[in-house]
Formats: sequence, structure tokens, C-alpha cells
Amino acid sequence: MSSEGGAKTGKAGVIVAPDDATVMDNLAHSVLDDVLYNIVHDLLIKVHRDEKMARGNTAAIKVEKLASDASESSAPDAKPDVRIETEAAIYDDGKVTLKGNPLKTTKEILCPRCHLPRLLHPTDGKGARKPDPSVIYCKKHPYIEKPGFDIYGQTWVAPGPGRGKKKKDIEQKKLDGDAANSPAAELTAKDRPPNVLSYPSATCSKCKRCILVTRLNNHMGSCIGNSGRNASRAAAQKISNGGSNGGSQNNDNTPPGSQKGTPLPTSRAASPRKRDGDEFDEDADESDPTNPKKKKLKPASLPKKVILKTKNATTKKEKVKGSSMLNVEQKIDDVVKNSTVQVAPKKSTPKGPSPAKKAKPSMVAKPPLPSLASKKGGKRDRDVESESSGTLSSPPQ
Amino acid sequence: MAAQPATPASPVNFKIKSPQVGKPLYGCEHLQRLFNQDQATTNTSISHFKQILRRILDVSPVLKQTAKPVEGPPNEVAVTLTPTYHCLQCPSIVTEEDRAKHGTKKAHRFYVDSRSGALYCQMCDDLVWDSTLEDLRLRKFGTGTFSSNRKRKHDELFASDPMKENAQYISTHTTMGSCKANGLRGIYNAGATCYQNVVLQSFLHNPVLRNYYLSDGHQSGNCPNTPHCLSCAMDDMFQDFYATENTNGYTAANILSGFWISEKKAFENLVTTKEQDAHEFFQFLAEELHERNGDGKKPESGSEHKCNCIIHQTFYGKLQTTTTCMHCQSDTNQVQSFLDLSLPLENLTQKKGKKAKAQSMTLQECLDEEYTKPDKCEYRCHNCQSNQQARRKTSIKRLPNVLSIQMKRFEFKQGRNERAAKIDTPVQFPLQLNMLPYTNRADTREAKENNNELERSCTYDLLSVIVHVGEIDTGHYTAYCRVGDNWFAFNDHKVEVAQISDVLSARAYLLFYIIRSLA
Repeated sequence: MSSEGGAKTGKAGVIVAPDDATVMDNLAHSVLDDVLYNIVHDLLIKVHRDEKMARGNTAAIKVEKLASDASESSAPDAKPDVRIETEAAIYDDGKVTLKGNPLKTTKEILCPRCHLPRLLHPTDGKGARKPDPSVIYCKKHPYIEKPGFDIYGQTWVAPGPGRGKKKKDIEQKKLDGDAANSPAAELTAKDRPPNVLSYPSATCSKCKRCILVTRLNNHMGSCIGNSGRNASRAAAQKISNGGSNGGSQNNDNTPPGSQKGTPLPTSRAASPRKRDGDEFDEDADESDPTNPKKKKLKPASLPKKVILKTKNATTKKEKVKGSSMLNVEQKIDDVVKNSTVQVAPKKSTPKGPSPAKKAKPSMVAKPPLPSLASKKGGKRDRDVESESSGTLSSPPQ
Repeated sequence: MAAQPATPASPVNFKIKSPQVGKPLYGCEHLQRLFNQDQATTNTSISHFKQILRRILDVSPVLKQTAKPVEGPPNEVAVTLTPTYHCLQCPSIVTEEDRAKHGTKKAHRFYVDSRSGALYCQMCDDLVWDSTLEDLRLRKFGTGTFSSNRKRKHDELFASDPMKENAQYISTHTTMGSCKANGLRGIYNAGATCYQNVVLQSFLHNPVLRNYYLSDGHQSGNCPNTPHCLSCAMDDMFQDFYATENTNGYTAANILSGFWISEKKAFENLVTTKEQDAHEFFQFLAEELHERNGDGKKPESGSEHKCNCIIHQTFYGKLQTTTTCMHCQSDTNQVQSFLDLSLPLENLTQKKGKKAKAQSMTLQECLDEEYTKPDKCEYRCHNCQSNQQARRKTSIKRLPNVLSIQMKRFEFKQGRNERAAKIDTPVQFPLQLNMLPYTNRADTREAKENNNELERSCTYDLLSVIVHVGEIDTGHYTAYCRVGDNWFAFNDHKVEVAQISDVLSARAYLLFYIIRSLA
């Protein structure tokens, strides 16, 4: 107790004054110790509240479920006139009361919305535990804490030349934290796990072409922006490329502004990793047949694409790629309609200044179609349209 | 249970909350027994609970922290820093050690923790969370009052017809999102657009804006505006974040094209493929959304612009500048609305540099410098009809719901080729910010006497932090946003869990604070 000057410590008993301490020293130590106690106390109360309320609600959900099962009435809102008792709660006349302490009687936590059990440990990274494969869990999972991966355990194909990254940015990233990028970079494309995503494409709202997301701003700058140097550059390029734009495989999609993104010749020599990145992409092409299932899915999403891309797509030879950007959860659930298809025209574009002339099909994936009914039905459709048109990649510059 | 006839002795009958689906009615069996005895017991228990909460929050903390011993001389009181327990059934305050003794002596079984207001049940030997009492506790701790019908700061925000408050109406008109859709997604960098991404993330995790868009505040389906309405793009983005199960990054193509198409002259230099200032983009987005949702008038900077649009209700506050003539002592007041507070670090770093080597300062110091200290200026006094020396003091007249603060982390080096440089001085900012000292009510007697309540109404919680790393002309933006009690770091398409220590040690460029209680 801090009021008694003689005590050597406070309630927590962690910060203890030395034996030869003066009265003021004792007081200071016991005050500090009490403050520490309070911090821990507040934290514990918060965790206790969340946990106990979740368990109590779980007990209520379970007993209500039993009650509605027991009653013949099919109306979902009707309060069944039965009395059901579990070891954690009692249901009687629409009222649920607890039996005993829910922290002791109830072991799992059910989601109050979908009534499925919550996964209580992350599936990967810090504090990870293997989930029980026989249980269908609520889709809200604990967030994953793992260096190089995001909260859903996803990671991305390391940016490289031809994927919308300038040399400067890559070097900057290297300085910032190489470790963060390495997990993706060290994997070859063949055994690239499904949680490694590549950059999607989006439609330019003006010219309706598909642009790799990392170049979208540049593209819009020249397509919509019409300002300054970019516009004149774009104009110049349009003139010089004008003939080939119509049906040519090679240059049709080149964003006019992307000249800026062309790596300087030295960039290849300076960073050998980027080459590796390219080679992965090559591998990804070959890994095609290993993924027949996803290939089969392609027709499902094709029609929409074709409608949108009547100008270009029909005239273009396409190569279907089997790489996907399914994330872990989708894989587990095997949600077929969420699967994605990647399409990239394969071609080799002669590169002016680059010493290594190389075909670099860019990895482009379409974000999965939103699978659930949105609040606004009509609007969703429009969204899907604009996003799904991202199936076609823009060829690398 | 609660529906028993009222006894004449108790004019006010407290009601137990009506049963809710998926929630137990009482905190524990013992509390159930207490509330089911008779209405009089329920009344005394609940009114006593409210009394204890008032004692905990509204009066001097010494009172609630002073416990009387159960045994021994009654004048031997103990004042403690650690929690005391307030008996629900009698006015006693006991220490944790004496709780059991008091229970055996008086057969009182329920106690309220003096730090949190949580209820302890001796028979469970555990804290219990009863829905009725929790409601009261949260309301008292959150708003400082038990009543729910108080005049709110922004009535328009909560204007509702009673029909729509009906639970039945809500449930039939709501589409629940998936449990997986939680608004936590990255946004792809479309080529030097991280300055947009961070601002978008801070908007996405702003509860006021989120509620506006998710409750069909601006429906992109029937919007009369041009096809490239930025507010529609925002609506689509909110839908995509909070209604789809997608965990991949979001491609903000519509926002980007809306941004490119927008014809805001003031922000013309923003519209380029180069790296830009996040603060300018924030201003751009706010003004654009105001025009799409509000009265359509351009927000003139500096004027007292009145508008009820969502942006004004969220971000705009009012500043008052009082100029006092040194000659005749007459005051002139000028009121301006503001979107954000800009805090110059330049002067303060120089001042600090001279004084000591302590190269760190606090947000409160910066605010002090701007909004509590008067400065001198010269102006034309109407009273004296001549130019006079004057004292000018700026303070906040009306606080916004979401307070945005910009740290001016750049300075201009004087010289022939003027160059801007970045100030990298760390500025410590709190999770909880009391803005009372910077309002024009800070010096009033009300503030000094009724400090508790007024201070609570001026308390802000940190909502998001935007950080810039790198040089003045190039670099990268990242954002930290709070979702509930968890913090997340947003780095373009990547979302990671963040520790509070990471957030607080960040070199913030923009800070967003949200008012704790809207009451």
C-alpha cells in the first residue's frame, strides 16, 4: 500500500526497494509498482471481458440453435416454446440464462454472425497452430504475423523490370529491407505457393484498355492527363505507333507513358536479381500443364472479357496461363468460382537499349470475382465488370 | 422478472434489458437471482450501480480509492492506487483483501471495481459482464452520462426517423457482409501513388466516413453527378472493402481516373505521374467529396463556410482569431473554418536547438505554440482609426469530429536557389489527446470548475498516422490505421499487424484523431 511509507513494494510486488532504502525510496518503489499493477489489471480486464462475453454468447447461440431444432415451427423469428438445457445455458421461453461460468463451461467461440466456430490461432507465423481440418471455421481468421507476408499470409511476386518497377524503386526497396522481399524471390515459380500473388490489371476508364496496375497512373497521365511533357510524348508515340495499334500483337497495349519506366541499360547489370525474376516468369509459362483444373475454369470468366475487349482480344492470340492468385482460404474452401485465370500474350518484344533481349510475359491476374451478394446488387455488377476486365495483361514494354 | 408491478416506494422502475438473440440475459446465475427477487431490489441495485459509476468518474479520485477496513477501528482508512471494490448492496468501499470478509459479514456478493466499473460476483469468484449493467457502464464511461437523449454535436449525423430505428426494419433492409470482409486490404501502387493510398486508407478506416458510405450515404447507383464522380468511386471502394471476401490488394482505378479527370485548378500540379504530397491530396479529396455531397459551393478557404455535407461534418472545425488592440484594448474576432491544423515545426526546432540538444518534441508543444500563445502584429484598429500594435491569439472555436493535423516537415532554405528541406525531428504524439487547452473555452471559468465533463468532450483518440520516409522530393508513404483496438500498417498493397510502439515511434506527417464521444 502506498500510504504506508514503510512498505518496500506495491501490490504487484515486482518493483521492490532495496533493504537500505529510505522512506522516500520505499514510497517511490511502491507507487511505481502499484502503477504497474494497474496497467496489468486494465489489460486483463479488457481481455477477460472480450473472452468471457464471447464464450457467454457462444453458450447462448448453441442453446438457441438446439431450441429452434427442437421446435417444429419453421419460422425463423418465432420463439420456440420449449425448454432446453445444456451444460452452459438454459433456454426457456425466448430467454437464455447462463449456467455456471462460461469460461469453464464453454470451450470454443462461435461467430455471432455465421454461427461457425472461430479459428483461435493464426495458421502461420507467430503463434501459429494447425487448424483442425475436419472443422469448418468462420471466415474471420486471426491475423498472421510473419515477416514478408501480410495479415492474410499473402505475399507478392517481387517487382522487377517489366513489372512496372523502375530501377530506382527496386534499389530503394533493397535498402529498406531486403528480407521482406526475399521469401517471394527465393521461390521458383513452379512451387510458388498459392498465397503468392502477382499484380493485377485494371481498365483505364477512358480508353478501356487493360493496364497493369503498377503502370496505371502513368497510363492515365498520358491518356487522360493531357498535360505537360507526358502528353507530348504520348502524342509522339501515338503517331509513331499509330499503324501498329490496330491489330498488331506486339505493340497494341503498350501504354504510351511507359517509356518512362524503361530501365536503363545499366540496370540489368546492376541488379542480377531482376534477371532471376524474369526467369521465374518463364518458368511460370512452362508450369502451365501442371494446373489443368484452373485452365478448365477459364471459359467461365471468358465471355465477359470478350465483350469488353472486342477491339483487341479477338484479334489477339492468347496463351492461357495456369498460375493463379488463389489465397489460402480460397484454396481450402475450394471455392471454384473464385478461382482466377491468367492470360498473357506471349511474345518477344525487341528492346532497344537492353542488352539481354528477352521475352517477358508479365504476370497478370484478375482479382477474384466478389462472390457474395452485396448490399447493392446492381452496382456490384458494374464493379465486377471493371475489375474482371483485368484478365488481359498488358504486354511488357 | 422486470415486468412486475411498480411499488409506490420506487417511482422510477429500472428495466432489465429485453432478451436478445445470441446473448445471455444476465451476467451470471447469481445476478439473475438478484434481479428476479422483486422490482424493489432491481431498482436499488441498478440505482446503486449508477451511483457507484458516478462516484468513480465524476468526483475526486481520492474518494473512490479510499477503502474502509472491515475489521478494526473504522477510522483507519487506506488510500490506495490500486483498485478498490465498491459494494453494490451497501455504501462500503473495501480493498481486494477485505472483499471476502465483507461478504461473509454482510452476505453482500457483488462489487464494482473502482478502475473500470466492472462487476465482480463473489459466488462466481469472477468478473461478470451483465448486458444491462454493461450498457450503463459503457454509456457512462463513453459519454459521461447515462442518458442517451443528449444534444449531439452534429444532429444531422444522427437524424433518424423512429421507424428506421426499429430492429425489424434494420434487419430486413440490411445485407450482412461476410465475416471475412473487414475492410483490411491493401491498395496497389499504380505508379507513385502511395500518397493517395495512405489518404484513402485513412478515409476507409474512418468510422464516420465508413458509416456514411456503408449506409448508402452516397449511392453510386443513382448519383446525378458526372460519370466520373469521385464520391461514387469512394462508394464503390467502401463496398469492395467491406462487402467482398477479397484479401488481395485493391486497384483504385476509379479513384485514380476521377482524380485525373477532375478539373480542380488549385490542384493542377498534383495531377501528374510524379510523387506528390499526401496532404495536398487529402485536401483535394476532401474538397472534391464536399462538392459531390454538399451544397456544391466551393469551400472558400478562410471563410466561415456552412455546409452539412459528410466532409464538413467529419473534418471541418472552426478557428477563432482574436486581435486585441494594444492601444484601446478592443477585441476583434474573426472566425474561419478549417479542414486541418497545420503545425510548423521549423520555429520550434530552432528554438529547441538553441536551448538544449533535446531533439525531440511533443505534439502538445506544437499545439501550445500555435493555439495558446498570442503573437504580436500590426493592424488597423477601427476604434482608434489608426494602425496600432496588436496582440493576436488563435484558438479553436469548434472542434471537428475527426481532427486532422499536419506536421509541416519542411523548411525553405533562404538563398538564390531556394530549396526545401525536410525536418526529420521526431514529434511524440499521444494515443489520447486532450484538445481543451487549445479551444477558446480553455480560459473560461467553466473549464476550470467543471473540468471533468468539458475535458471529456474534448478528448480525442488517435485514429491513423501517415508517415513519410525519404527525402523532401522523393520517398514513400505508409499509413497506420486503428481498427477497433488493433493497429495495422498499410504499405501499398501490403497490410501487416502493427504494434502500438511502432505507431507511436513513427515520424508522423499527418495525424488523424477522432473524438471519443459524439455526445
